Amino acid sequence: MISLTAPASLSMLDLTFASTPLALPFLATLAIVVPAVLAASLRSRARETLLLAVFAATLAAVLFARSVFAFMLAWELMALVSAMLVGAHFERRYVRRALLSYAIVSQIGALCILAALALLGAHAGAFTFDAIARAAPSVPAPLRVTIALLALVGFGSKAGLVPMHFWLPSAHPAAPATASALLSGVMLAVAVYGLALVGLTLAQPLPAWFGIALALVGGLGGAIGALYASLQSDIKRILAYSSIENTGIAIGALGLAFAAQAFGLTSIAALAMLALFFHVIAHGAFKSLLFLGAGSIVRAAGTSDLEHLGGLMRTLRFSAPFVLVGCAAAAALPVTCGFAAEWLIVRGFVHALTSGTPALAVAAAVTIAALALASGLAFATFAKFFGIGMLGQRRSDHVAQPERFDHVTVALAWLSAIVVLIGIAPELVMQQLGAAVQAVTGVQADLGTLPHVARIAALAPVLGLLATAWVARSRSIAHQPTWTCGSPVTRRSQYTATAFSQPIARIFAVAMPSAREPAIAFARSVAAFAQRTARRTRVVQGGRLRVYLAYAVLGALVVFWLAR
Amino acid sequence: MIAHLAQIAVLLAVAPLLQGVIKSLRARLQGRPGPSPLQPYRDLRKLARKGIVLPHEVSLVFLAAPGLYAGSALVLAYLVPTIGSRAPLDAIAIALVLAFGRFALVLAALDARSSFEGMAASREATFAALGEAPLVLALVSTVLPGATSLGALFTAAAIFIVNLSEMARIPIDNQETHYELTMIHEGLALEYSGRHLALVQYAAAVRQAALLVLAAMLLPGSGGSTFAWFCALVLATAIVERTFAKLRLFEVPSLFALATLLAFFGIAVRLTGVNLW
Repeated sequence: MISLTAPASLSMLDLTFASTPLALPFLATLAIVVPAVLAASLRSRARETLLLAVFAATLAAVLFARSVFAFMLAWELMALVSAMLVGAHFERRYVRRALLSYAIVSQIGALCILAALALLGAHAGAFTFDAIARAAPSVPAPLRVTIALLALVGFGSKAGLVPMHFWLPSAHPAAPATASALLSGVMLAVAVYGLALVGLTLAQPLPAWFGIALALVGGLGGAIGALYASLQSDIKRILAYSSIENTGIAIGALGLAFAAQAFGLTSIAALAMLALFFHVIAHGAFKSLLFLGAGSIVRAAGTSDLEHLGGLMRTLRFSAPFVLVGCAAAAALPVTCGFAAEWLIVRGFVHALTSGTPALAVAAAVTIAALALASGLAFATFAKFFGIGMLGQRRSDHVAQPERFDHVTVALAWLSAIVVLIGIAPELVMQQLGAAVQAVTGVQADLGTLPHVARIAALAPVLGLLATAWVARSRSIAHQPTWTCGSPVTRRSQYTATAFSQPIARIFAVAMPSAREPAIAFARSVAAFAQRTARRTRVVQGGRLRVYLAYAVLGALVVFWLAR
Repeated sequence: MIAHLAQIAVLLAVAPLLQGVIKSLRARLQGRPGPSPLQPYRDLRKLARKGIVLPHEVSLVFLAAPGLYAGSALVLAYLVPTIGSRAPLDAIAIALVLAFGRFALVLAALDARSSFEGMAASREATFAALGEAPLVLALVSTVLPGATSLGALFTAAAIFIVNLSEMARIPIDNQETHYELTMIHEGLALEYSGRHLALVQYAAAVRQAALLVLAAMLLPGSGGSTFAWFCALVLATAIVERTFAKLRLFEVPSLFALATLLAFFGIAVRLTGVNLW
């Protein structure tokens, strides 16, 4: 524990850092992702690599912070450095727009977090997290709800929880691939950590209805994120929306943990926390893998638009298999950690179904349906991502250069190895996660039959290869053009990304009143209103010295009156 | 364990027969003699002896996909609990192992660079996305007490609808179609021949048999009555194929919505504990 204690009158400026069990899984994610990201960024300019390293350090600082001042300092540094990464290509107009909306949302969120932590500190009379946690049970109910809502807005907006996600699909793709990998793979998880910190220690116990509402918002938000992901044609936007989906899933599990704690069902809370921890690590690994892979695709093909991609199996001969692993994980398929994470999360909700608490059971049923829909849509999304983006024939005239084996390949291989390893043997991370779960909820949670199921499912590719070997020993192997009813086989005879997702777009058109996302449209109208208001209030800044002096006198009078 | 392995062996052995029986039942219901129930075995033997024809410039994904599809079907057969045992269903593993095989075939279809396959891939992915929620909900509801309740009927009805899609049956898909534009499952395998095609057809038969067994297990009773339910479901599949026409593509989502609602009802009824008998 590192501690810099301020004088008693300024105790709110205490700087305390220490490691906690709750932060451990998030630190593990950071430890998995950062080496890969730094290795992959060796190609880019030194300034960018340095920024990435600093960013990783600020993420770690948030996870280690144990006092209000330390947390806010680290949080704001993290926001600042991440904004610098988002704005790396400042010369492009869409980057500037993305940066602006990110900065605004980020600062509003930080103010909410500051308010929540300050209220907690004021109640406890001390500003270290340990003191706040000790005073947590005595927080009056209305204050507790206020704090919970403030934390939800503050951390939820940073995590990209629907409907506070509108900034994310433009901000994350604007950054370089290495930065997106950290932003999506780790920073979103750090925001979820913040919410868990408030709900499980600083302001615990939160009311049961809050947990239930959070589970529902998370689950449905996950499904909405997955729906929008399936409709995108730009690979980086697909990944950004997929991150929104996974944030929803993680927050759904967190909501379940809150609700279970409130009902006294600690064993279910333990299952939910185990699922959340595993999901965070799994998502961190496969999402950074996919973002780094997307970086390779863009570098080789010169575009991130699926309508111009395709036929990259030969040019990206090293990266393509790793991207396939990432896509399988994002679609929660067996043999990858995505499967294990999905399995654990659904198990938590299945236990909630049988908990005997009607409200929790009904919420669990709805959330399971939402999670299943999300995973079905993720299937369609990543079938499109790989099938249209990598397979078939190139859809534009741009000739891609074959890639070389370099440090990016090593980074992709490292992340793929993690994805597959903890997908086949999830118990490898179990010991550490189990200790964290025990410390957070006071109960042990085990993996259940997951290791067995994961191993059995891993037989599928093995059997598949045996069967393929049998096919390879066919009597004869001939080559013929693809059957297109006699018309010539050109790249135009292939299906397009838009056509692929058209049925989904049409089926869910009921849920989408306009082509533009409702949350984005709403955010635009709020921004326009703010701009109008700012223009009108500009008259108070007349630019004349006398006016400002009058303000100063007025201000001084108000202060004297307040302090009389 | 031995009972389970025996069940897997039986499932793998009779899966093509099941396909043949449904086809022949359907033909009888339509008033024609139809093919022998053993025809699928003859087809598989014929395909296994033939050479294969590949489209130009396909990748490894295309070559390996039928094998992966078949591998996942074998794993699925393992995941079906032993009939009569009280072993719990692993809903999420079943749903995702199904998805694994489908992923391989959908990718292979997109690799074949024809619109027919792309269209089939798109439709398969769409219906899979819609079918996942009712499937998982229906399978998950078995953790709740009340296997002999009205809830069990709702659940089984939900899973029967999902099965129709998974088995590529009317009213969602048509296995007998020869028109590329209407194919979904057949369209995915359009470019496969010889042993590749044999793997796809055999795996599809195993998936279908496993899902029908699952649906029968969700219905009240165990052991002998599960087998009776199984036969009833086979007959019901043939009757549905005989009676209904294929739905318009964009009418199919309503069917999935119905299945999801039924699965929700199944859970709600089990939660409230209304018993049928």
